[in-house]
Amino acid sequence: MQQRVYGVASKDIVFESFDGEAVVLDLSNGKYFGFSDSGSRVWQALSSGVATEALVGVAAGAAKISLADLESFIARLLDFGLLAPAETPAQPLSGELSSALAASNEPLKVDVHDDLADLIIVDPIHEVEEPLGWPAVKQA
Amino acid sequence: MPLITLQTLPDYARHVLAAAESAAAFYPVTASVRLPGLDLSVHLDHGTLAEAMSHAFIPAPENPSASDGCRIFVAHPAIDGVPAPATWGRGDYNHHAFANRLEEAGLRGSYYHDLDFWQFHDPQRHVGAQLMMSADAFPPWEQGAPLRAFLHWEYAARGMRLTHAGTLGIDGKGVLLAGSGGAGKSGTVVAGLLNGLDSVGDDYVLIDRTEGVTAYPLFATLKQDPEGFKRLKLEGRLNSYQPLNWQGKHAFHINEVAPRPTPASLDIIALIVPHIRGGARSSVMPISRKDAMIALAPSGIVQMPGEREAGFRFFSELTRDLPCYRLSLGTEPREIAGTIADFVLRGAA
Repeated sequence: MQQRVYGVASKDIVFESFDGEAVVLDLSNGKYFGFSDSGSRVWQALSSGVATEALVGVAAGAAKISLADLESFIARLLDFGLLAPAETPAQPLSGELSSALAASNEPLKVDVHDDLADLIIVDPIHEVEEPLGWPAVKQA
Repeated sequence: MPLITLQTLPDYARHVLAAAESAAAFYPVTASVRLPGLDLSVHLDHGTLAEAMSHAFIPAPENPSASDGCRIFVAHPAIDGVPAPATWGRGDYNHHAFANRLEEAGLRGSYYHDLDFWQFHDPQRHVGAQLMMSADAFPPWEQGAPLRAFLHWEYAARGMRLTHAGTLGIDGKGVLLAGSGGAGKSGTVVAGLLNGLDSVGDDYVLIDRTEGVTAYPLFATLKQDPEGFKRLKLEGRLNSYQPLNWQGKHAFHINEVAPRPTPASLDIIALIVPHIRGGARSSVMPISRKDAMIALAPSGIVQMPGEREAGFRFFSELTRDLPCYRLSLGTEPREIAGTIADFVLRGAA
């Protein structure tokens, strides 16, 4: 079976982990993403080249990661522009990551934090056309 | 009138810096202010910005050995030798690409379309130029926090960071209050000041992580929306107050409400995310670092031009340095201040 491997979509995607929970920032548009604990582990696995297939059936808290949940999660990450398909060889899922997934207790989840409205009120440094990114993309 | 593109941007930045600096003899005003570790000299015209130089900052105590100089030229075409601002050329304007292009050339910069308002900075030479169409053609936020972008670039080059956060403290120890607009940050800071606590800033403070976490004051302006202004009974406390600012808020000087002169710094012991709950009493509960980071970092990074990745890393480390809490706000300013004072004194003990 062809393995599906992904990688971080661009060098503008940066992330940090806080007590096992990831926060991801898209530098190009200022959007933040906060992951649940299992979401953080899966993000960590996918962004480091672990194949999708290696994650299906892996314990995540009391449940196991289903193909449907994983595909739905990956679709969100692709939509957000955080992940992109990669041609690189699949990497193994480490025992450490697998254990961390088993110890997680929240379902696969990622939230987008786009504090656009609040920030405009605080300080509208630039005009904003949300679909084109933030701060603004503006035609001359 | 030249049209600037990403390709020509570094050359234009150098041109603006050179022209603004060459006209040094023709600026009517030179204002100096001593900020933490930084002597700022600003060459500019008479007018609102010159007035702001005298009251918008909180000067640092004298410490010449720790100070480096930085010169900013606030230029416009009525000053001899200063060209009219160029405008952005054809094609998309993207702030991130703009910052990256300048950074490749060792420069920093920002551009505000509506006014053809340019800011360029050379962090190696500690020289900056702000080019405007006229002496008063600046965006409205410049008045309360003048030259904020230049300070951001200067301090970022020194490993520190302007941080979009409020502060409250007592006996030299304090907390950082983080959150986006409407979270209750400014109201909490003023409530604390009116009830005996200290602050080194309500909107932007300078953070140094060299020895623990230290917050320094830069700007003296506090703001309150009319509802908060009324709730805090500021009408009767301030000797006078200005019409609402561009945000529809009252702006006033920290000295008008602070119980003591602004401290030179606060040792920060916690990161607190205020939350308007409406209960009778305030409470402080731990929150995850992830949630605290998301409250702290977005506005601090996006409101400051350029260096987003460095900012993300800085705020990540800052969040790891500190215990993180959510402050559910009660309704009484005195009770809110008491809760924070107890928290700080317990944490400092």
